Amino acid sequence: MSKADLDKLVAQYPAAIVSSHSNFGDDTAVVTKESLKDVMRFLRDTVGFDLLVSVTAADYFGREPRFEVVYHLRSMATGNRLRIKVPVHEEEGGPSAEVATVSDLWPTANWQEREAYDMFGIKFSGHPDLRRILMYEEFVGHPLRKDYPKEQRQPLIRRDYSLS
Amino acid sequence: MAESPSSPIKSSIAAALRETVSPPPPPAASPAAPSAAPAGSAPSSAPPQSELCTIKLDGREVQAKKGANLLEVCLAHGVDVSYFCYHPGLSSPAVCRQCLVEVVGQPKLVPACFTPIADKMEVNTATPRVLTIRRQMLEFTLVNHPVDCPICDKAGECTLQKQYQDWDHVGSRSSIPKVHKPKMQDLGPHIVLDSERCILCTRCIRVCDEVAGQKQLTMAWRGDREQLTVAPGHQLDNPYSLNTVDVCPVGALTSKDFRFTMRAWELFTTSSVCPGCATGCNVEVHHAQGEIWRLVPRENLQVNKYWMCDEGRFAYKDVRHKRLTSARIGAGRGQPAQITSVDKAVAFAAERLERLVSSGGTIGLVYSAQTTNEALFALSQVAAKLTARGASVRAYVSGAAPRPERADNILRSADVNPNTAGAKLLAGVGAGDAKALLADLTAGKLKGLWMVGTDLPLGEQAEFEIAPLADGLELLICQAVHDSPLLRRAHVQLPAAAWAEVDGTFTNAKHMVQRLRKAVAPQGDARAHLELVTQIAKKANLAQNEKWQVSARQAFLQMVAEVASTLPPGADPAQSVAAGFAAADWGKEFLPVQLRFANSRG
Amino acid sequence: MSTTTQSKTGPRKLAFGMPTPDEIAAGGIPGLSARPKLPVDLMDKLNASELEEVEDIELPTEPMQINMGPSHPATHGTVRIVLTIDGETVRDSDVQVGYLHRCFEKEAEYATYTQVFPYTDRLNYVSPLLNNVGFALAVEKLLGIGAAIPERAQYIRVIVGEISRITDHLTCLGASAMEVGGFTPFLWMIKIREWLWELLEELTGARLTHSYVRVGGVSQDLTEDFIARLRATLNRSLEPLAECEKLLVKNRIFRDRMDGVGTMSAEDAIAMGWTGPCLRSTGVPYDVRKDHPYLVYDRFEFDVPVGSVGDNYDRFAVRLEEIRQSMRILEQAMQQIPPGPVLLDEPRICMPPKNAVYNTIESMIGHFKLIVDGIKVPPGEVYSYTEGGNGELGFYIVSDGSGRPYRCHVRSPSFIITQSMSKLILGAGIADIIPTFGMINMIGGECDR
Repeated sequence: MSKADLDKLVAQYPAAIVSSHSNFGDDTAVVTKESLKDVMRFLRDTVGFDLLVSVTAADYFGREPRFEVVYHLRSMATGNRLRIKVPVHEEEGGPSAEVATVSDLWPTANWQEREAYDMFGIKFSGHPDLRRILMYEEFVGHPLRKDYPKEQRQPLIRRDYSLS
Repeated sequence: MAESPSSPIKSSIAAALRETVSPPPPPAASPAAPSAAPAGSAPSSAPPQSELCTIKLDGREVQAKKGANLLEVCLAHGVDVSYFCYHPGLSSPAVCRQCLVEVVGQPKLVPACFTPIADKMEVNTATPRVLTIRRQMLEFTLVNHPVDCPICDKAGECTLQKQYQDWDHVGSRSSIPKVHKPKMQDLGPHIVLDSERCILCTRCIRVCDEVAGQKQLTMAWRGDREQLTVAPGHQLDNPYSLNTVDVCPVGALTSKDFRFTMRAWELFTTSSVCPGCATGCNVEVHHAQGEIWRLVPRENLQVNKYWMCDEGRFAYKDVRHKRLTSARIGAGRGQPAQITSVDKAVAFAAERLERLVSSGGTIGLVYSAQTTNEALFALSQVAAKLTARGASVRAYVSGAAPRPERADNILRSADVNPNTAGAKLLAGVGAGDAKALLADLTAGKLKGLWMVGTDLPLGEQAEFEIAPLADGLELLICQAVHDSPLLRRAHVQLPAAAWAEVDGTFTNAKHMVQRLRKAVAPQGDARAHLELVTQIAKKANLAQNEKWQVSARQAFLQMVAEVASTLPPGADPAQSVAAGFAAADWGKEFLPVQLRFANSRG
Repeated sequence: MSTTTQSKTGPRKLAFGMPTPDEIAAGGIPGLSARPKLPVDLMDKLNASELEEVEDIELPTEPMQINMGPSHPATHGTVRIVLTIDGETVRDSDVQVGYLHRCFEKEAEYATYTQVFPYTDRLNYVSPLLNNVGFALAVEKLLGIGAAIPERAQYIRVIVGEISRITDHLTCLGASAMEVGGFTPFLWMIKIREWLWELLEELTGARLTHSYVRVGGVSQDLTEDFIARLRATLNRSLEPLAECEKLLVKNRIFRDRMDGVGTMSAEDAIAMGWTGPCLRSTGVPYDVRKDHPYLVYDRFEFDVPVGSVGDNYDRFAVRLEEIRQSMRILEQAMQQIPPGPVLLDEPRICMPPKNAVYNTIESMIGHFKLIVDGIKVPPGEVYSYTEGGNGELGFYIVSDGSGRPYRCHVRSPSFIITQSMSKLILGAGIADIIPTFGMINMIGGECDR
């Protein structure tokens, strides 16, 4: 289907594409963190992927790089779809995982990136309002990380419900 | 698949199961168990070119050693062949006929586990003929198998279930009644047999014969009446009897200790090392709901191969029972102590320790051989700081008394402390032993004593008698896992985490530094020995921000670096403990995985 | 202002604390602050005719923050909106979701694929079967058995899915009508919904949490008279539905609350990631069933209604029309549905029959392995999407080859559309929040997962 779009992307940014595949019929390109913004802008403006369907992440604990941020795109004109994945490192004791925001390209990324931040602790640099979204501010840890035990308890929070 | 998310969980399990922290000593060290493997064959050393031959495996050219077991070659090259009676640690009798494969040129299918490979052999493992036979063999095995899964202890980690689901998965065609055999037969102190479930693979017989060296099990009767049994007047009571439960591919042999306590698939597995003796068998700790339910051996060809002793399997009970779970401080000398928080007890200990240092007098430090290297390393750092401050410090290595009667040439060692080698190295050359400690106590040479682990080579009764010796001390700090008479005499009684509750390493008798992993949370207020030492040292201004205080891993790294710095490069781990340390590696971190999702042990 | 009434106990003040003349004479009720004085020039014009001339005059107010929700009586959906208002006008808002977060994605990582179905029921809980189908399709895509699913099962999935879509839209429309004051349509629409849910209850055993779909098909065949009863129910629903439509479409009050309120342009809607009825209300005819047909949707004739303005009324009208289109699909599906099995015959994916499980060791093992280890799904990752009640419902599943998802992300249409709430109510009145929020149809279970 949209194999042509994937080819176009690979041709345009040969250095940025780490790998690509079309397993299960889902065209996928893995791009480097540094070139994410350029690739996404190219996909939106030149190839025509105007709908950012979803932004999410996955934690491959024990693998390097540990995280992957996953974007699903759709072109409203052609109906083609494309998955973009960005591997994101997290160093032990070092800076936390960080990747550039795409919320300036697609405003819909705003909440979805907030969710990825909330659930995985991945920072989206340049995000206008990077707060937790599903969890509360006082929540300790990032629940969808593989090393966050499912049974983990959280301290009881006495919340000040004054407006904020 | 260009970019598949590989299976992080499964591969990590596989790696965990095969992991040795430090490289093994050369094969000169005596093999851990007399086994069927040909003597002197080191698995790691590649055979010379002349010994290799090439066979065609499912159309693929594969190189392997001439005469190697065909089934092993298949498994090594990722070709899945079903089998029951074969076990990598045992001889192959080819009784189950489940591993039949096609060798081109041979009229009948051959059992892969009994076929040595020869040059230019052509083997097919997935032709319709092979698959049909494989299915028929399973159908045959299942004809008389009882519908027991819901009440069977092995369900969820059963090889028969696994092979059926992988290769047969066709419904029953039989309507005749099943043959009934005795259920619930008591074979020995640890084992119960259900003959109906037995598929007659004879693995258990071979475990007794070849691993334990005691011929206690045998087959009786013939045909569909055939049964496993013990010889009349005998019992299945060898010290390795529970290995029969592990190798049993079905639920015929079950462990009295474990049966009906937990469903196997609910358990989580964490790889660790048995704390039972100086052999340091590699184990998997199976735990759920914050409790350990059993220990099973983990493959390590350099240490324990696939086995462990029965006594070691019960080492988990020490983690559960008779634990010291809260800190106490008091006036010592057996007067009632007061329960307090660990932080307060630590502060109290630090303050008294500082006072003792400034007033002068000898301080004894006890390095227990049941404590991890990291905690002992931290203690040695503290000792150096104390000496630097002008205190006179004496080190002692202590541990439980040796039990010569348990030693054999298989796995069991007379030294029942898992970390004697490490404790001796870390305590330093001048360290005394437990005898010296008792002598010094009797002579009143010590003013203070700090015990990291209160294990002494005494029975509990004797401990009652010697406990008053501690009354001459101005300060006795005890970090202990279990309650004991000596502990009751201490001024500061700190609850320490047991071996399964900490990250760290033990050094076994072969100088291999092996990794323990935290499986469950410490009971009550207990904290790791390393944490307690760190906290006391910090409070007593004996340490500031050294790396070893951060985590067990950091302590390990610093310890290895320091030990290695004293050694010439390329030292042989077989020759000295220090070289074993220098070659050690912390290994990777794994998340505990539930057995049901870990490609069942079956 | 006669605020007293005579009773046996003497004069008594009525509710609401209006001061009595006596109290006014005495200087008002203590503690009640004096009203701010209006500017003098405005005071001069305090006469109605003059005020009309100076339309733009606004009462001087200060921006003020108020809290709407998380449990507001006039919204359906648990959400907290922190409003900054200037008089009645919304100047800024912070929409806070998460009050119904139940760790769907985390729980799914600890459950076998089959065990995830009950969790999906609780995503969009007014159309659980659509979620069931969406998840099943994602797993089947990973297994590569999509084409092998028995045809009857595919039709059943369409039928129960479209019934669920109708109940979803009915809930949205009925509740929204009630929230802006029309109580009758709510009762009638909920009544129709109840008829449909009774049917589903008979089929699946549960009124709401059906867990009916399985990987490889559906758990059981339609009941004997299901088709006949469904047809009767649909016919029966037409009248009250038409009645509701009349009650609302030509209702001055309703139209005033909906028309031109919460307007969104097509470009903005796409940029905000809208899908489903909300996107279609802006004029974009994107419907997964038409654009990427799944199951047997390519065999049905149906239209994709679109709006022109993108306001609340368009969202209302699109949903109302979609109910009719779903009925059309149902009618065709009921005619076309073939006989046959409803579950794939593949023992490594679907359970053996119960009788065999209890009596033979072979089926017992098969059952046991599927329950304990789960369906072994080959490693890989897929994104599978269907048309849910509120738009594109997507499942991104990563498998590591074991019996449970390594990662299971739900692309929840509600979550993404709720994000636009701030934009939609910016500059609107407080009262406009209610119909706008209603027509966004934020379903807490799906939004917060």
